[in-house]
Amino acid sequence: MRKPKTKIRLSDVIILMLVVVIISYFVYRINVGLNYNWAWGKIPQFLFRYDPERGEWVSNILMHGLYNTLRLSFWGIILSTIFGTIMGICRASKVLFFKLLSGTYVESMRNIPPLVIIFIIYFFIGDQVLPGLGLDRFVEARSETVQKLIEFCLAKPQFITAFLSALLTLAIFEGAYITEIVRAGIQSIRKGQWEAAHALGLSWWQQMRHIILPQTFQRILPPLAGQFISLIKDSSIVSVISIQELTFQGSELMTGTLLTMEIWITVTILYLMLTLPCSLLIERLEKYMARSKG
Amino acid sequence: MAPKKLGDYIIQVNAISKTFPNGVIALSDFSTKIRRSEVVVVIGPSGSGKSTFLRCLNGLEEIDSGSITIDGIPLDDNKKHRLEIRKEVGMVFQSFNLFPHMTTLENVNLAQRLVRKKSKDEATAMSMDLLRKVGIEDKVNAYPSQLSGGQQQRVAIARALAMMPKVMLFDEATSALDPEMIGEVLEVMKNLAREGMTMICVTHEMGFAREVSDWVIFMEEGEIVEEGTAEHFFRNPREERTKLFLSQIL
Repeated sequence: MRKPKTKIRLSDVIILMLVVVIISYFVYRINVGLNYNWAWGKIPQFLFRYDPERGEWVSNILMHGLYNTLRLSFWGIILSTIFGTIMGICRASKVLFFKLLSGTYVESMRNIPPLVIIFIIYFFIGDQVLPGLGLDRFVEARSETVQKLIEFCLAKPQFITAFLSALLTLAIFEGAYITEIVRAGIQSIRKGQWEAAHALGLSWWQQMRHIILPQTFQRILPPLAGQFISLIKDSSIVSVISIQELTFQGSELMTGTLLTMEIWITVTILYLMLTLPCSLLIERLEKYMARSKG
Repeated sequence: MAPKKLGDYIIQVNAISKTFPNGVIALSDFSTKIRRSEVVVVIGPSGSGKSTFLRCLNGLEEIDSGSITIDGIPLDDNKKHRLEIRKEVGMVFQSFNLFPHMTTLENVNLAQRLVRKKSKDEATAMSMDLLRKVGIEDKVNAYPSQLSGGQQQRVAIARALAMMPKVMLFDEATSALDPEMIGEVLEVMKNLAREGMTMICVTHEMGFAREVSDWVIFMEEGEIVEEGTAEHFFRNPREERTKLFLSQIL
């Protein structure tokens, strides 16, 4: 297939010039109007710093934030996909109970602001339920290797409860959107697929597992991947419950150093490093799927 | 063709009725009996309830009243009975309905593995036999999208046969095919009929009906207008309605 040639028109040139003018104006305003003193030199130490005791370079606040965002996103994607798939199946089911259950879930998650959901889950599950389970004590009682592993995968023992409630919030919140994606995917599969599987004697679950879901996931991969990018971005809202992810670290650092511009530009770049590769991956994926259809 | 020996009644349909939620009456007080190895062709104008009749036979549609018994098993609310009937009744659809994410071989293997609990080797051996029979043995690893309509429908027939059904239902199996592909699918169906498979075919292929059917049912508005042997049916139909229909399609 040949790519159509991109032509540069006059309107493109004008728009490009406008963008350049606007950016220049911003830079000018910041430098002259705000009289802002750029201090980019101070930023790298917040990413990595030299540890004289250990004699090596170690990650610092911003990188720690990035790691936490990565952890939240990784587990969040897995958990929300599980929630979304189960609830999506319920939503496409014919049984009234499952329909109502998943319908209530989706509607409440879509109609409550995520910040409110976070506080509700944090103060209820995080403050009441999880301590009741004795999770932090459980973690503290593990051997050092296991603790190290938990710290690597999730969070430090003293932060584990907060981390888990943040993770749950994210997963439950994003899971509602994935539910809708899965439901739409299931319902987009032609009725004949169900009927053929039914006529062959497959049970409902076998039909779902072997015929419907594989086709559904093939079909919903692009919107699903888009939702995963949203999840990475939305992970910043858990900064309000003091999860030390990238946005939280950024605002902490800003209060401490007053390097507002430099820090937020750095944080932006770090987020882009997480999300842009995902976007590119989706683009690849969509092209690949469009090809296999022919 | 030498007269075929027909067995006992394998399907007994007693006064079934079916009305769709939108008020359309698909079947009203419909009764028939079908013998083992019999090939029954159901014809009629669209909306006459012939497809609904087939779909009721394997539980794809629920009947409102009446009873259906297949090989001694009543099609009632009992889940075991329903599953048993679905296993024993194979169905071929107008739109093939192959599973697009599976190869030809996987399509034919699937139900043998999941429902008949066969090992992969057993299933594959059987599938290869069947695919050879329908003439697709060189496309076992192709995906449905790589096959022509006629090839897809032959795979669909092999897939249904893999469950070793006692009855095969054909719901306008050739209606979605290009003219030059109808012949290859009909040939497979005719072979199946000669081998003694009990078949119920909703079709517009009168040549097929003449050649292999033992019994022809003409339906309209959910009722049997006229039925009889192919010989009787095409030579001297009694009912005016039948004559009119036949004159339109022949």
